[in-house]
Amino acid sequence: MSIGTLDAASAYGRTLNAFPPMTTAAGDDSATTAAQAAGGSDFGSMVETMVGEAAGSLRQAETASAKQVAGKGDLVDVVTAIGAAETALNTVVAVRDRVVNAYSDIMRMQI
Amino acid sequence: MDLKTSIGVSASGLHAESLRMRVIAENLANADSVARTPGGTPYRRRVATFQAQVDKATGATMVKVDSIVGDKSDFNRVYQPGNPAADASGYLLQPNVNSLIETADMKAAQRSYEANLNAIETARDLTMRTLDLIK
Repeated sequence: MSIGTLDAASAYGRTLNAFPPMTTAAGDDSATTAAQAAGGSDFGSMVETMVGEAAGSLRQAETASAKQVAGKGDLVDVVTAIGAAETALNTVVAVRDRVVNAYSDIMRMQI
Repeated sequence: MDLKTSIGVSASGLHAESLRMRVIAENLANADSVARTPGGTPYRRRVATFQAQVDKATGATMVKVDSIVGDKSDFNRVYQPGNPAADASGYLLQPNVNSLIETADMKAAQRSYEANLNAIETARDLTMRTLDLIK
């Protein structure tokens, strides 16, 4: 049981290490460096990083949309920003669903 | 992630192709723009040139419009002595725009734009399908 948990933790750590480039691209690297300082296997900081990244993408998409509505934006920028935000949000939701499922599996376990 | 980068590369292609399309539209719209003074030069056909550019943040090779240069070919000379812009011998200089060439160029720009759109669609589809693995 504990070996399985450690495996899951290291998988999360790998995911976490895979994320920094995307976060840096979004311009918010404070959460990333904090996560790396924590050793890269902390699930909480991974969620923090991903949520921060998703929020950053959503903010960019919103800025681009507002510019477009005001007639100053570029259609390609709006479409790519919204696409990036959608992908980031979907990633966060998918990982959250997975973790909540794992949690409820553990809670249902017979003692 | 590389799929995200490839979307960015395709987006740079969309930008470049839309600017190329703008230049073609300008050429077509000005196909009959002659000079206002006798002996003056009419509208000169313009061409957008592209250049590969490495994006430092991602290391990907994007495309950007290098410059919009004038076409050096000769203007068309038409005998129109009644035209106010005609020179002393009655010849009028017309723009070096050939609408057939512009139409073919426009089709090429359209296909390139569509190719970039397809690349974006595929990259996004692959991202979503990868995410579906954990759903």
